[in-house]
Amino acid sequence: MTEAAPRRRASRARSKRNAAILRHAFLVFASLSVLAPIVYAVIASFKDQAEFFANPFGLPETWRWENYVRAWSEAKISVTLPNSIIVTALSVFFSTVLSGLAAYGISRREKPFAFALYLVFVSGMLVPVQMIILPLFVLLKSLGLLGSVLAVVLPYTALGLPLGVLVLTPLFATLPRDLSDAARVDGATELQIFRRVVLPLMRPGLASVAILNGVWMWNEFFIPLIISVKSSTQTLPVGIMSFVGVYSTEWGLVFASVVVSAAPIVVAYLLMTRHFVAGLTAGALKG
Amino acid sequence: MGGGARRPLFFVTNLAPATSEETRPSVRPGSLAIAGKGGEGRAPRRAASRRRNAFSSSFARRYGHLLFAAPALLVFLSFIVYPTLEAFYLSLFDWKGVGKNFNFIGLGNFQTALSSWPLYRAALNNLVFFVVILAFQHTVGLLIAVQLNARPRFMQVYRTILFLPVVLSLIATGFIWTLILSPNIGLLNPALRAVGLGFLARSWLSDTTFALPVVILVQAWNVLGWAVIIYLAGLQNIPEELAQAAEIDGATKWQTFRRVTFPLLSPSFTSLTVLTFIQIFRVFDVVYVLTGPVGAPAGRTDVLGTLVYRTAFGVGGLSANDARMSYAIAISVIIFIVMAAVSAALIWLLRRREVEA
Repeated sequence: MTEAAPRRRASRARSKRNAAILRHAFLVFASLSVLAPIVYAVIASFKDQAEFFANPFGLPETWRWENYVRAWSEAKISVTLPNSIIVTALSVFFSTVLSGLAAYGISRREKPFAFALYLVFVSGMLVPVQMIILPLFVLLKSLGLLGSVLAVVLPYTALGLPLGVLVLTPLFATLPRDLSDAARVDGATELQIFRRVVLPLMRPGLASVAILNGVWMWNEFFIPLIISVKSSTQTLPVGIMSFVGVYSTEWGLVFASVVVSAAPIVVAYLLMTRHFVAGLTAGALKG
Repeated sequence: MGGGARRPLFFVTNLAPATSEETRPSVRPGSLAIAGKGGEGRAPRRAASRRRNAFSSSFARRYGHLLFAAPALLVFLSFIVYPTLEAFYLSLFDWKGVGKNFNFIGLGNFQTALSSWPLYRAALNNLVFFVVILAFQHTVGLLIAVQLNARPRFMQVYRTILFLPVVLSLIATGFIWTLILSPNIGLLNPALRAVGLGFLARSWLSDTTFALPVVILVQAWNVLGWAVIIYLAGLQNIPEELAQAAEIDGATKWQTFRRVTFPLLSPSFTSLTVLTFIQIFRVFDVVYVLTGPVGAPAGRTDVLGTLVYRTAFGVGGLSANDARMSYAIAISVIIFIVMAAVSAALIWLLRRREVEA
């Protein structure tokens, strides 16, 4: 007994350490499987065409920054990058503000039509984009919006509403009523109450919705593929794709474009990992 | 975060007594102040205005909240509800999307669609896609989440890396893997040759056997982070005492996980399953980039998304002669109805088996 106890403790410590090593080995392997393709793509964006054949694994002999310079003009990044920024910024702004207003308006369940409206908005999540894309196309055409960035901003905004309402309504419902009642007694109008009292308290929730919608809006491919008929209004994902159609062999340029398209969102993610994870999970868990 | 997964959070914390507004005096403090300022001779007008105020404010109190929802509702109705109704309408015609042909054919499109093999082939591919990704997420993703939940050193670093592909577009993901899998210049084939497994090298994306599994694997790479983060949030919600209590009672690690932890993860299981279902039955980008809109080779990777796209616009864009817009919309209406039914059933089924902590 007196001898066995320390031995048992030692063996338990050893098995614990082994478990930790095994755990790290597993996690490192998983992380590398995720990271390696990304690093590989970044390296590829600096290679010239011949190196893809001669030297598939290694670093490029000379780092060809000119791939980026050429991609800027030849792959039209000079057009698609600003377009992506404008489209995403506008759509995120409108969908967040509109879903915030709507969620606030319908967050008191006992009010007439509140719950019905909530269900209407949320059911929008089930509508597949493929089904509405052509009627949308016709509608936007008759509104004369097809050649402008608004042609994608409006559908993005509309499609961002269901998730926004879904995430925000329960959050608004948790706000204590005494707050807005107090402001009302002080003579504030309903809009003032919303702007000065409610909005500041909802900032984390609104940030979640903005991130949640911002990620898919930045990355969206199908909608602009159909609707951005003019190349001057194309966003990055569509721009890269149409470039590939023309220069399918220029892999260095393709990957320069891919890196440019991914860099803003990856940098934002790395700077605000916590917010991204919180925001995206909020959407996923409710969805 | 994870708490929201159990039940819709909707209004749960609405603890205030019925409504405080109904019991409040009908004249607002603000209008009292204004009324007090008026001269004596204005009494009738004041009364009228007060009556109007009382009317409008009782109306506002009852329906004013709807004004907040109005702008969103307008956008929602114009760009989602109207196109949906329009889609149902257009599906009853033989319109090609271009040209003047526009004849009512009733449910003809639906009849043709439901008796055509490509629809079932695409649906089947989607189903395979869904089952494989689902299994992958609930095993690999869960395993990673459990390892992370043990709070190893560098946990944050691992988590940040593992979630990273989720913010990458499927277009970027698709291109990265197109290059890796490319038969001539890729990474995989030269690597296989380098380690003496050259006989395994092939052109992965045009191989009838391997194309679909490879496309699914690429999608799995992109969505793995969801499983990790959703299960991790679920695990962090489970009080540690529960597992400790089970271990004191003599349960092995596996028994503890199987009987205590995993049942408590059922909200995460539900969320992830529903999310995966929605993601996979909309899958389009990754197939479009890796194997093109025709779902090469020979339709082996054709999914509902590419089928609808190709049918609607033809292979060569809207001007192509093989565009069949109304027919494509009919297919997507079928998909919509089936998806809505299945999602509802899925949520209902999965919610029922959830347990309370």
